[in-house]
Amino acid sequence: MFRYRLDVAWEYLFKLLPYLSVTLFYMGGALTIGIVFGAFMAMMKLGKNRPLKYFAIGYTAVMRSLPPIILIFLVYHGVPLAVRRMFQVNLSGMNTVYFVILALGLSSVATLSEIMKSAYLSVSGGQYEAAVSNGFTPFQAFRRIMFPQALRVSIPNLSSALIILMKEGSLGYTIGLIDIMGRADLLNSTSYGNDIYEIFFTLAAIYWLASILIDGGCHFIENRLSLERKIELNEIKKAGMIAAAEQGGIVRGS
Amino acid sequence: MLELTGVCKFFGKNEILKGVNLKVDSGDVVVILGPSGSGKTTLLRCINFLEIADKGTMVFGDKTIQLRRAKKSEVAFVRKKTSFVFQNYNLFNNKTALENVTEGLIYGRKIPAKEARDIGVKALEKVGMLDRSDFYPSQLSGGQQQRVGIARAIAGNPDVILFDEPTSALDPELIGEVLGIMKKLAAKEGTTMIVVTHEMSFAQSVATKVIFMDSGVILEEGEPREFFVHPRHERTKQFLRSILYETEYNI
Repeated sequence: MFRYRLDVAWEYLFKLLPYLSVTLFYMGGALTIGIVFGAFMAMMKLGKNRPLKYFAIGYTAVMRSLPPIILIFLVYHGVPLAVRRMFQVNLSGMNTVYFVILALGLSSVATLSEIMKSAYLSVSGGQYEAAVSNGFTPFQAFRRIMFPQALRVSIPNLSSALIILMKEGSLGYTIGLIDIMGRADLLNSTSYGNDIYEIFFTLAAIYWLASILIDGGCHFIENRLSLERKIELNEIKKAGMIAAAEQGGIVRGS
Repeated sequence: MLELTGVCKFFGKNEILKGVNLKVDSGDVVVILGPSGSGKTTLLRCINFLEIADKGTMVFGDKTIQLRRAKKSEVAFVRKKTSFVFQNYNLFNNKTALENVTEGLIYGRKIPAKEARDIGVKALEKVGMLDRSDFYPSQLSGGQQQRVGIARAIAGNPDVILFDEPTSALDPELIGEVLGIMKKLAAKEGTTMIVVTHEMSFAQSVATKVIFMDSGVILEEGEPREFFVHPRHERTKQFLRSILYETEYNI
């Protein structure tokens, strides 16, 4: 009869958890690449320069259609080869996590550029016109009017993108990355498959919790930035001012 | 003060403006009438460089500007001297009513924040929105939003205010409050305005000059009394008939 050994699962939890840092590291790395270059790519898509625009659209189409595992393989095997040919530099000793970051980063650029583009377009273009007509420079109009509103709109999508990034990175174990997934695979083989359920349910629970945290965190930020909250704070401030004024009146009157 | 000559504008192959000439003197209230698609709004947008005209020159004060090849400094100059009131208000949704007025002063005109606030309060007071200064656009009615839009436009003390169908997006009940403010600006402050509108009553009572546009050209212009009582052009007569007497149909 199948018996799930909670105590064993519990032990594995602590064997896996330290490697969550690797998972978080590649997520952070890929997200950074995605945000920086994705912003440029979103600008290309929104801009008037035809060649740049078509390049960005083409890049997105190709990257979105690629299964992440192919990308990881291509980067892992292709990049060292290309670097050796071109610069006579040997990359064989490099930590695999950087290959995973590059592979995920390349596809994040596509995803995030789409998120940024649609978030920008969701803010009515009239506000930009009103801003430049009021003497804002295009950058000021972006920085003060368009960006804060677009950021708020983009957060739910960013949250999903981040969770997808976390899951896709688990494929890094195929090129020998020791993140929580790689570690779980390793533990599974050293226990000869005897603890397979204990290990992988625990692993699943970690992913599950992590995505709940990501989602919750994003919700928190979204609420922080929301107009409703600004309005609410405003109301509280006003109520406070009225109360203070009334109190002042009473003191003076008495 | 402001003179446009030979303004042409293409959208793709469509010629929207076919050589428009317009002269506005200080204190003028120029009302531009015309059917939709006649290029009224495009003309207004070209003045503020929200569209770049393909041909034409603008003389503004002592500056002569080629519309097509306007330098950044020239665009900034014109935008400083003019302001735009939009059909859809286009208030900054992430800013309060007061911030909507002051942001342009602080960032566009480099006025210190404190001073900008004083100007903003005065502008909101003029449009009767001071009690709503802490409200966000989403908390305001359309008419109130447009009044804030007008406050934003007058705050920079421009030489000309450009109104692009300021009441077209409003409920009929709210049109009056916006027109009332515009009338006040014209009568009390002598503000120079160019107004694209379909409000004939406004044109009749406030305009110093009425312009009728059709298919990208100015067909007729004149004083409002002359224009409404003795329109010369057949197209103008037809347009005025359709607008002024539309309520007289009985079904």
